[in-house]
Amino acid sequence: MNDQWTNRLSEYIDGELDSTERASLEAHLATCGQCFATLGELRQVVAQAKSLEDREPAKDLWAGIRAGMAPARGAGRQTVRPSGRRFSFSVPQLLAASIALVLLSGGGAWLALQSRQSIEPTPIGESPQRPRVGQLVTWTGHTDAAIADLQTALTQNEKRLDTATVRIVRVNLAIIDRAIADARIALQKDPGNAYLNLHLANTMRRKVELLRRVNDMAAARS
Amino acid sequence: MPRQVLEDTLTADSIAADSALAASGDATAFERLYRTHVARVHTLVRRMLDADEADDVTQDVFIRAWQKLSTFRGESAFGTWLHRLAVNVVLARRKSVGIERGRFINEDAPLEGVKSKPVTPELSMDFEEALASLPEGARQVFVLHDVEGYRHEEIARMLGVVPGTSKSQLHHARMALRRHLDR
Repeated sequence: MNDQWTNRLSEYIDGELDSTERASLEAHLATCGQCFATLGELRQVVAQAKSLEDREPAKDLWAGIRAGMAPARGAGRQTVRPSGRRFSFSVPQLLAASIALVLLSGGGAWLALQSRQSIEPTPIGESPQRPRVGQLVTWTGHTDAAIADLQTALTQNEKRLDTATVRIVRVNLAIIDRAIADARIALQKDPGNAYLNLHLANTMRRKVELLRRVNDMAAARS
Repeated sequence: MPRQVLEDTLTADSIAADSALAASGDATAFERLYRTHVARVHTLVRRMLDADEADDVTQDVFIRAWQKLSTFRGESAFGTWLHRLAVNVVLARRKSVGIERGRFINEDAPLEGVKSKPVTPELSMDFEEALASLPEGARQVFVLHDVEGYRHEEIARMLGVVPGTSKSQLHHARMALRRHLDR
């Protein structure tokens, strides 16, 4: 079975024939049972392709991915970035991240206060730069200073950003500040809680990241 | 709001939040993105390349995604961005292993390359296996067009062929696969 129309059947299915060709093919289909049957089978192939389901890999690939991530985005994250770095955080992303942060903050603090025990976060997927408990006092002190510097810079840079962006950035900073304040209050009740200490440090780190990115964005627009 | 719509909205918000957190260096958020999207990426890679390459290439896709997250600006869904990245990695792999264009445009190859469906049920080849047995060029066009929904013009651009070649490969792939329909 192979006539001049057989090789046009897929184009017919996909609507790629012009009106003249389509009319000719349909006239042929009315008289050629083989082409008509083949057309039906090809349509079933197309339908089956659309119904194929995704399958998980046989083994978990995360460990290899995690190992491959470390060199590219690891310990250097806390260092000063090149000033010309491309800004990559869109306003919707900032908002989404902050909402997630607040949810994580509230849930995490609640869990910590419920248990009143020292909880080590699961090490899987832990950021390489995540602070250790023993380093918290020094790390937090440095971060307070860094935040102060970055906020001063932001005050000067805000005029380069459009009003909507400034408003959303301020809202997001307020959310992060609230999370930091909550963590500090919780720590006053339970100063030795390792989870809360880590949570505070990580929330402050995220504030540093946000301030850096906004300042980078403002610098890029100067 | 219907339950499914609400769940989809929450999932989309969660993915958007995780992609933003991952872009800021949060590996835990990136792991959640991996777990959400790995089946789709792995399946795409497995269908486009040989199955024994799928694990390595999938890992490569996610490592590149982590490295390139700073270029993801949230203008499309993270899944769409990741999927396009996966296609690019697969096509780069295709070039790197030296698949020659001459082989790709051999229009007779697909029909010769696929075994006929065996008559005994226990030996029957399912649709996925039949797809895997297609010659690479026809398989990639079929996956990109019929499974993933790309247009011939896009496929031709990605593969470095003319749209007519893409159409021809697609038709031959369909003709071969019709013998392996799950009925």
